[in-house]
This record gives sequence, C-alpha cells and structure tokens, in this order.
Amino acid sequence: MHQKLFTAPALLLLAGCLRLTSFGQGNPTPAKPAAEITAAADKFLAALEPGQREKVVFDFKDEAQRGRWSNLPTTMVKRGGLRMGDLSKLQRDAVLVVLAAALSPQGYEKVLQIVDGDEMLKKGGGQTMFGRDQYYVSFLGQPSTTKPWTIQFGGHHLGLNITLVGDQGTLAPSHTGAQPALYELEGKAVRPLGRETDKAFALLASLDEAQRKQAILGFQMHDLVLGPGRDGQVIQPEGIKGSALSEKQREMLLDLAGEWTGIMHEAVAKAKMEQLRQHISETWFAWSGPTEKGSAAYFRIQGPTVIIEYAPQRLGGDPTKHIHTIYRDPTNEYGAKWQTP
Amino acid sequence: MRLAMPSLWLALLFAMLGFPSGASAHRLDEYLQATLVSIEVGEVRLQINLTPGVAVAEQVLAVIDSDHNGVISVKDAAGYAETVKHDLIVRLDRRKVSLTLIASSFPEVSELRSGSGFIQLEFSVSTASMTAGSHRLSLKNRHLPAVSVYLFNAAQPRSGEIEITRQKRNENQSLGEIEFAVRR
Repeated sequence: MHQKLFTAPALLLLAGCLRLTSFGQGNPTPAKPAAEITAAADKFLAALEPGQREKVVFDFKDEAQRGRWSNLPTTMVKRGGLRMGDLSKLQRDAVLVVLAAALSPQGYEKVLQIVDGDEMLKKGGGQTMFGRDQYYVSFLGQPSTTKPWTIQFGGHHLGLNITLVGDQGTLAPSHTGAQPALYELEGKAVRPLGRETDKAFALLASLDEAQRKQAILGFQMHDLVLGPGRDGQVIQPEGIKGSALSEKQREMLLDLAGEWTGIMHEAVAKAKMEQLRQHISETWFAWSGPTEKGSAAYFRIQGPTVIIEYAPQRLGGDPTKHIHTIYRDPTNEYGAKWQTP
Repeated sequence: MRLAMPSLWLALLFAMLGFPSGASAHRLDEYLQATLVSIEVGEVRLQINLTPGVAVAEQVLAVIDSDHNGVISVKDAAGYAETVKHDLIVRLDRRKVSLTLIASSFPEVSELRSGSGFIQLEFSVSTASMTAGSHRLSLKNRHLPAVSVYLFNAAQPRSGEIEITRQKRNENQSLGEIEFAVRR
C-alpha cells in the first residue's frame, strides 16, 4: 500500500476543524470564509523560509503567472510558485489548510482524489513527471479579507484558479481531470469525477426522444474546445436550451453544474448557483458520443455566466479512465469583475 | 499529404518514452486542429490551434522544417502557414474566398516534440461587401488528414449585428458550416 501524505478523510477532518473553530466560538452568524482563508494563507506564508516566500507570492496583475496552468504535467508546462515536493511536511499541511478553507469538503476531497490518482499513475509507471510532489501552489496578490487575490494550486489534471475578494469568489477558469478516473485506494474504489459523470448520464437518460435530438451533437468531440490556453474565448452555444427542459430536468442540469461550482466554499458556491438558476432558461446542454451509461461521451453546459466541458481522452486506452474538464465564467474569469484597471 | 503511423513504431515509442501501460499525459498519435471562427461586421477570422501529439510531432516537424536543420525559421513558419492555407477551402455563400494570414506563433521545437506545444495561425477573410440578410460560411480542412482530428466552432459574435443561426459539421469536423444573419 502506498503511503499517503494527505488522506481524504484527514482533509475532511481538517476542513471540519476549520468550520468547528468558527462554530465553537458560539457565534450564531455564518462562518467567515474570507477571514478563515486569509488566516490559513498567512499561516502558510509564515511557515516559509524567506527565499520561498519570494517565490510563492506574485503581483495580482502578473498575467504571465496567471496563465501558468494546464492539464499537462508540470515537467511539460512549467508552473510558478512552490512545488509541493520541495516543501516540508509542515508547509505542505499548511497549503492543504488553505485549500480546505477555500473549498467545500467535497471540492477538497475531489482535489485530493485527483492528486492521489496522479500518484497512482506515478507508481504504476515509474514516471517522475507524475505524483503528488509535482503540484504547485502560488498566490497572486497578498492574502486579504478585502482586496482581490488568487490562490493557484495545480499540476497534472488540476488547475485551480481561486480568486477571492472578501466573501465573494470565483473558481473560473479551472481545470479538473482524472487519470485513472477509477482506481482503488485502501480497498475502496475512487472516482474523482464520478458524481459529474453519473449525473450527466442521468440527465441524458431523462430526455425524451425530441429533446435528445436537440441535445446530441452529430459529430465527434475529440477534446475540450475551451480548455487551458483558450482564455477570453466564447463559443456559440449548441444542444438543448434550458427553456426546452422540464422543471425537473433543469434542476438536474443545475445539480450537474454544481459539481463544478460546488468545489468552492459554501458561500461562493451558493451565490454562483443562484446566478446559474437565474439564467437556467438560457443555459444549454450538449452531448456527443455514446449514450449508454458508463461509456465515453463528451458533454457541455453553457450559459451566460458558465461554460463547463467534460471530455474523455482517447489516450491511455480506455477513454472512460482519462477525463479532462474545464470550468469557465465568461463574465468573471480570474475575478475580472473585481479587478481595477 | 499522407502520414502513416505504423503500430509497431508507435509501440516502440511508448516503450522509449516510458509511458506506463494504458497511461499517458497528453495527446499522442493525433494532430489536433481546432478552428474557432469569429464572424464580425466586415471580417471573418479563423484562429487555428494545431497541436501535434508526441508520436506524430516528428512527422509534422518534417513538414514545417523544410531545410531539416532542426530549427523552425521565419521562412519555415511562413512556408508552413502557406501550406495550411492551401489545405483550407473556405467558401462564403458558396463562393471560394481567399485567406490572409494575420498572425502566427510557433513553439520551440522541443515543445512540439514533447507534445506540449501548439502552433497558432490566424487568417482573415474580408467581408466588407456583405449585405444584410442570411449567409453561409463553410470550411473544409484537408491538412494532414491521416493523422488529424478536428474541432470546428463559431465564436459567439461580439456585435449584435451578427447572429449565428446554425452550425453543421461532418462526423470528424474536418468540414464545418456556419449559417448566420447580418442585421443592419
């Protein structure tokens, strides 16, 4: 059994502890995510050596660093910031506390499962380009409860761009992926992107014949259209429009989108879901590929404030085991709404 | 131009690169050609991102690096853009139109070889004389079909004067058609 530096249960416990801190003070008001995240980030920075600190914090307007994320391994596309494998255990734990504060418990678990999957890839093939040491953390701007700043965390199949301003925030743009998308760890089957996969097939299965004709695209989709490197682009939506779905199907579509928006902590996720709900009639769902549950198929959700793509990858043999996804918000990429010229 | 990929060679490449069985980080034996078509008042732009997988990178490089010196020179880049342009057939309202290269970028050869780099070409079509009403733009991409996979998409127009009304593709997206309306 391989040694795990951070287990999903430990991570959830960590996240739970952070919530408990707020609740344990007897404060009946909701938790204050901005204060928690900033405190965690400051603690991480305090745990660094002077040379390390200079490498991890970038100017908030550093566009070059902002763009340093990818689906590819870090040996192929260089990231900025600090490499997890170069940090002490104390420092790595501090990074995870930052993520636990910024993300929801399920979002945090997803991140850990993606990283664990990459560790499996490393152990399966002896490739040093893979594994949990090869993930990077960086900040754009100083941690703040009032001014915008960004947490970047990513590596192979993971590119999180978490922009925060006070208790508001956005995850756009971010990439999640998985390879293997199904693996066994400590006797349990793990599917980092399992919920989104199952919910998409459930939504498709709920469509009647006429709706399917609209939703299913008659051509192959070999990759994400708006993946990493496609910042600022918006494509013409296709598929079936939300207004042509039943109330129940619209709820299913929102629930599916929630697998991405819900990666962020509760306050941000809730606000984003409200926004998606407002635009649900103008939100499209498109499908390409086989329709049998468990097969390798592409899908896309696109509305005025969201673009989500899910694309199985042919490489590696079984495309159901290698998945790329992208989450974007054409109105607020990297927190554009909160950036001053 | 046809490029072949013998399966034995591919298997050897997998072994040489040390990819774990059934696991790879990136595109391998495909040349992804992703075209985004931006239709605006007076102009259509085609932005094409070309990403060779590591197993076909040498073959693509052989087409680009015409003097075979291991470097993509300005002349090589211009020549390759011209080759791609020749392999694209664009029709506006059934009439073939000419493309003008307006931008290009090429990664380092090492990035192309590792499968992490992509070439970006941007072409322009003048539509200054286009009248109000319905129109149709089609693209047939004939560039390196033996190793290529394609994406073809219309960008959401920035101008309210342009409305995309329909998109059609063949199964592998080497052929795409956009129906749109100009409202003035």
